[in-house]
Amino acid sequence: MFKLKNFRKRSLWILHYNAGSCNGCDIEILACLGPTYDLERFGVLNRGNPKQSDMLLITGPVTYRSRERVVELFTQMPEPKVVVAVGSCTCTGGVFSGMYNVEDGVDKYIPVDVYIPGCAATPEYIIDGVLKGLELLEHKSKEIVKPKKLFKKLSFHKDHIDRRGIAGKVGENDGKD
Amino acid sequence: MSTTTKAVDMQIPLGAQHISLLEPVKFTFTTQNEKIVDVGSDVGFVHRGVEHACSSKFEFKQVGFVVARICGLCAITHSMCYTAGVEKLLDAQVTQKAKYLRTLLIELDRIHSHMLCLSHTCENAGFEAMFMSLMGDREPVMGLQEAITGNRVQFDYITIGGVTREFDAQTAQKIIQVLGQTQKKIEGYIEEFQNNWSLSKKFEGIGALSPEGAYEYNAIGPLARACGLQVDVRNGLDYLPYKEVGFTTITQTGGDIHARNMVRLYEILNSIKMCRNIVEGLPEGEIQTKVRGKPQGEVITRLEAPRGELMYYLKGENKKVLDRVRIKTPTFATIPAMIEIFKGQDYADAPAILASFDPCLSCTAK
Repeated sequence: MFKLKNFRKRSLWILHYNAGSCNGCDIEILACLGPTYDLERFGVLNRGNPKQSDMLLITGPVTYRSRERVVELFTQMPEPKVVVAVGSCTCTGGVFSGMYNVEDGVDKYIPVDVYIPGCAATPEYIIDGVLKGLELLEHKSKEIVKPKKLFKKLSFHKDHIDRRGIAGKVGENDGKD
Repeated sequence: MSTTTKAVDMQIPLGAQHISLLEPVKFTFTTQNEKIVDVGSDVGFVHRGVEHACSSKFEFKQVGFVVARICGLCAITHSMCYTAGVEKLLDAQVTQKAKYLRTLLIELDRIHSHMLCLSHTCENAGFEAMFMSLMGDREPVMGLQEAITGNRVQFDYITIGGVTREFDAQTAQKIIQVLGQTQKKIEGYIEEFQNNWSLSKKFEGIGALSPEGAYEYNAIGPLARACGLQVDVRNGLDYLPYKEVGFTTITQTGGDIHARNMVRLYEILNSIKMCRNIVEGLPEGEIQTKVRGKPQGEVITRLEAPRGELMYYLKGENKKVLDRVRIKTPTFATIPAMIEIFKGQDYADAPAILASFDPCLSCTAK
């Protein structure tokens, strides 16, 4: 029988976005995709397209200018989806916490499923985190997941959800963001 | 049916999120029939406010570790450049052994950074196998960094007054062995980059910059050396022993992507030679000296990061917190030259040209 769930388990596509990190975690993600650590043996591929991705790998403490992009990318991804925060500064703000242009941690904006600590997170940790996210993906439903901030409203185009209209801009809603 | 086509300006955005980019940067290309006629760039997506935090929140002893978090690829050059400035202000004496160990780590960092850039250029030119091969050969160098400092990317190795660790004879043997292997691999890559049709022919003449253009638009680092300009800060450094360990400036002619790749490859060979000289001729002595006092006065320090000249301006008023930390990063200085190179090229080549600059946006935006 055709079960999409089984196929998804063996071919996870990831979307990687740098929301203000120092590049350290990003090059470790790149090293994971290289031949030594070889994340691809689990069927994981890095695709730059949010509409085809199952997992958002996000690095960096979310700077003021990248928060709209983070929410936009998150809402463009179809459910079920998993968010993995890579690196200490992504989890809590780390060394950048309290700087004037930084939100402390990505979980103020979008719900995070797996937190990977470390500055920079080592490839072994990243592989563990991605596989943990893969386990969580099996239990996720197709219900729409809303970002914690910058959520506009669900808009429908015919009978489909129009994902273009979901994410808001800073200062657009009510000044709370 | 009319056969005349009118040239229409078309705007194509690249970024802020794109598969060929590691970091968020936005280029807006104005194109006419595939040819790029104008470029606008927006680099501020990763601005965090490190400079302000360094002169308000952190004490001068901590700042060395904070500025390392500006960039993961050239973390060691940032902390080295800052530490050299503070040591000048404090009149600190650093032992010869610590200087040698600092140079060793900076050069190992350069090797892995250049290899990452080369593999990224190959990937963006559509040569996935070469990308994988280079990434695989880069891992032993990362292993060396882990063996020496305890971490793969953010080392926190350089402190005010010296370095934090030293290595034993077994690790020294391992370093020599891995450097030998890497040298053989790199010699193979030089052969490949020069003769492989899908690399050399694809890159030759693409993204070219003339020496006059490089001079006029303030190109630095491998971008300028690929045009034949003798621009390397390592020539005149007084706080690191580059002359003793066998440093030579590498230059190429042509100024295109191919020349930039060749500069990087030959620089890796030169760095391997320097690392070997350092490990074999490591002086005896302590690695850490006690430093007292608080920074007083102004200082400017420079260092050659993998992407070009890095400059720090520090000002202290005899307090724990510095008055001003100003950082001038290599990629920021090369943006005018980048924009000049893009003009007149095909849009299809844009990702490969961009990767060949090896841009570091988290340095640029800080």
